[in-house]
Amino acid sequence: MEELDAEPPVMVVPGADPSSRQLCFAWGPAEVLLCETRFDRTGRSPASRVFVVRKDQDIYIHTLRKLFNESHGIFIGLQRSEEELAGKSRKSHLVQVSKNYRSVIRACMEDMHQAVSILSAMELIWNLCEILFVEAAAAGPLLLRLLDWVRLHVCDVDNMVREVLSSEDPSKHELFWNLNNTQTLTEMELKWQHWHEECQRYLQDGTFASNSHTESICKILLGDEDAILEKKELMTTWYHFLVTRLLYSHPTVKPMELRFYAQSSMDLFLGGECSPEPLDTILMAAFEFEIHQVIKECSIALSNWWFVAHLTDLLDHCKLLQSHNLYFGSNMREFLLLEYASGLFSHHSLWQLGVDYFDHCPEYGRVYLELHIERIPLNTEQKALKVLRICEQRQMHEQVRSICKIMAMKALRNNRLGSALSWSIRAKDAAFATLISDRFLKDYCERGSFSDLDLIDNLGPSMLLSDRLTFLGKYREFHRLYGEKRFSEAARLLLMLMTAHIAPCSFWMTLLTDALPLLEQKEVIFSAEQTYELMRCLEDLTAGKSEKQKFQDDNVETMKVEMLRLALARNLARVIVKEGTLEGS
Amino acid sequence: MVSVINTVDTSHEDMIHDAQMDYYGTRLATCSSDRSVKIFDVRNGGQILIADLRGHEGPVWQVAWAHPMYGNILASCSYDRKVIVWKEENGTWEKTYEYTGHDSSVNSVCWAPHDYGLILACGSSDGAISLLSYTGDGQWEVKKISNAHTIGCNAVSWAPAVVPGSLIEQPSGQKPNYIKRFASGGCDNLVKIWKEEDGQWKEEQKLEAHSDWVRDVAWAPSIGLPTSTIASCSQDGRVFIWTCDDASGNSWSPKLLHKFNDVVWHVSWSITANILAVSGGDNKVTLWKESVDGLWACISDVNKGQGGVSAVAEGQQNEQ
Repeated sequence: MEELDAEPPVMVVPGADPSSRQLCFAWGPAEVLLCETRFDRTGRSPASRVFVVRKDQDIYIHTLRKLFNESHGIFIGLQRSEEELAGKSRKSHLVQVSKNYRSVIRACMEDMHQAVSILSAMELIWNLCEILFVEAAAAGPLLLRLLDWVRLHVCDVDNMVREVLSSEDPSKHELFWNLNNTQTLTEMELKWQHWHEECQRYLQDGTFASNSHTESICKILLGDEDAILEKKELMTTWYHFLVTRLLYSHPTVKPMELRFYAQSSMDLFLGGECSPEPLDTILMAAFEFEIHQVIKECSIALSNWWFVAHLTDLLDHCKLLQSHNLYFGSNMREFLLLEYASGLFSHHSLWQLGVDYFDHCPEYGRVYLELHIERIPLNTEQKALKVLRICEQRQMHEQVRSICKIMAMKALRNNRLGSALSWSIRAKDAAFATLISDRFLKDYCERGSFSDLDLIDNLGPSMLLSDRLTFLGKYREFHRLYGEKRFSEAARLLLMLMTAHIAPCSFWMTLLTDALPLLEQKEVIFSAEQTYELMRCLEDLTAGKSEKQKFQDDNVETMKVEMLRLALARNLARVIVKEGTLEGS
Repeated sequence: MVSVINTVDTSHEDMIHDAQMDYYGTRLATCSSDRSVKIFDVRNGGQILIADLRGHEGPVWQVAWAHPMYGNILASCSYDRKVIVWKEENGTWEKTYEYTGHDSSVNSVCWAPHDYGLILACGSSDGAISLLSYTGDGQWEVKKISNAHTIGCNAVSWAPAVVPGSLIEQPSGQKPNYIKRFASGGCDNLVKIWKEEDGQWKEEQKLEAHSDWVRDVAWAPSIGLPTSTIASCSQDGRVFIWTCDDASGNSWSPKLLHKFNDVVWHVSWSITANILAVSGGDNKVTLWKESVDGLWACISDVNKGQGGVSAVAEGQQNEQ
């Protein structure tokens, strides 16, 4: 268990006066709010500023966007590819994945000019980790890889090496450089020993005594530290020095021996003048094969989670992380991926990448996704549908309902009743569907026509979501039937709406008024029984009104009722005759 | 690891007491001793004043955004004993409801989880807690818990909605049987947990550990674990983390997060509940995370383990 470290880093809020203010704090979905206040509510001071604070990763998102996008595909590929491979082919696959990540970093370096230094630091570290951990280069190839590594990253390419190659005994050197596959480590060591002894003899014989320059080269070739150190200015870094040293003194260095040489190289190179920088500490931890330390130091030094999240995931696939008793969170890989993915949700489009990362966090990924996905602003219908699809695919029913309700409310506020209705049907929100149906009906009463006919006509079984919605659907059906001149069907439906109490009482007057044209058709539509029913409905309606209501009814209302009574009576008369006549004949 | 990305000049004429982001981080609501509530559009680093809401007759202590499925709704509470619910209708913000049933300053308002409907809990210096529920058609129903805390109630915080028993999707139209709970903190030095039973609110638990007024309580969001967690802070300078392991909510045990040198005024949880923010009289806001072995640590440089968020402090003038 790691020890608690000393002081948390402090972020200072600019320009605030500590003697008169305290800090009020609130969490936003992606940011944090601070404002100056006094909690004891005393004192009068116009403290009127609110600070919006964000994690640096979120700010970095814009610069590193390409990196995040491209690496996402590599990450997903890695999660899915694992199962089939084993042994050597697995290792080479993992090395390839590592190289892919690095090439993405380099590609971004070419594209972007701002973040180049941090990207090149990331590539430097990743490359070293690839050599030491993923590929786990053994003694022999190890030094070659380290040479490549230094060459790739140090601008001032190995001048020493150039000098060596152009010096007097190229043949001798060829022996040394000729590390092909047929040579085993022991063979190489023997050859090198032999060559080393020869060089030593030349030096002692004084062969180079006349030329101090050549003499110094010889000393370097022999791995004389002081001689190499003299040329310090040609090497830009201590790890450049390290690799050079190893090249000339211990080319068959074993991985586990690296730590000693690394530490002494750093000490010798820096000479106690300057203290190691974060990058140095990270590289040192890598040379010491302290993987957890590498990850920790990287987390501190790099202000974005991208690097540690992806590298740790890769190392986890290499089975290099034991189930570590992590200080925060249960599993280091998952912890870092959760942090990284959470950060992506603050971005208007990169959040979609975050979804995939959460999917591959078995313990908390789902709940984190649930909590974050609800906070994505649903600015457009398109975006809402995208978010919905993601939730539906993962059976996140609560979130689906919640989003549909939000969209329904938005549509209603913008008077888009059709859209509001379809959203509330999707949300299975009976209460809201009732509300919107009422609005539709109200609109009809005011304007005499329906909007969004298509939607209402095609409700299908979702009509049953709420009684009011059912009524709306059926009422519209009545109008359709009437429009198609299927009068007797229409009449039947109209009556049923009242007798089956599908229609709310408040709407009965409208329905009865709708019956008028049917009653006044040349042809008799309502049967006697139906007419009696209608009359009963009308009486129920008028009887149900209180005295006060009757008093308040204006002339139009009264006239309507009178007209209805008249029409019903006339219809009854006609139908009795008609039915009586038929019976008679 | 953090930077200020936007400074909103609210132009409040007096002390700000609360600032809250809406659900999506697109709008900011602030309230002040100048009796107003202001709403800003803060998208893309901007700060456009959308509304300047007047209606309170005294300093406004807190604001709270309702869930967006109910529309754009904001609640505010004030020294003037009123709770006002504001709503955006046709592009303008208006008062939609005013509750004046408290006898003293209303200190805290908190909206219930959206699953329960549109319900607002309010804590007041008159010792009562009122629960305002929207029943439709512009109507609100009020339930009052009198004498919830002697001398006064300072804070209320709802428990996350958790459907008891099965997680199978309910047939449409049928509401799952939620057990509604919330926590409150008061001048009786207590944290209390309230539970709704048969339409009545009953005191379920009394959590005693503080030796002075409890200033704030915060119930942590649920991350799917069976445990419940509440943070409380007090004039006694202590912050406690209360946890309850069993579903019946019977045994709560406190753990001391830290003893500060001054009054601790506010505690709040991040949305995934992994960080607790504590603001105190010592002019600092500190951020805390829980470790695997249950110890709470102030997140430092990530040396402590991949935490990554720092403590935030007031600055000296002219310092960057």
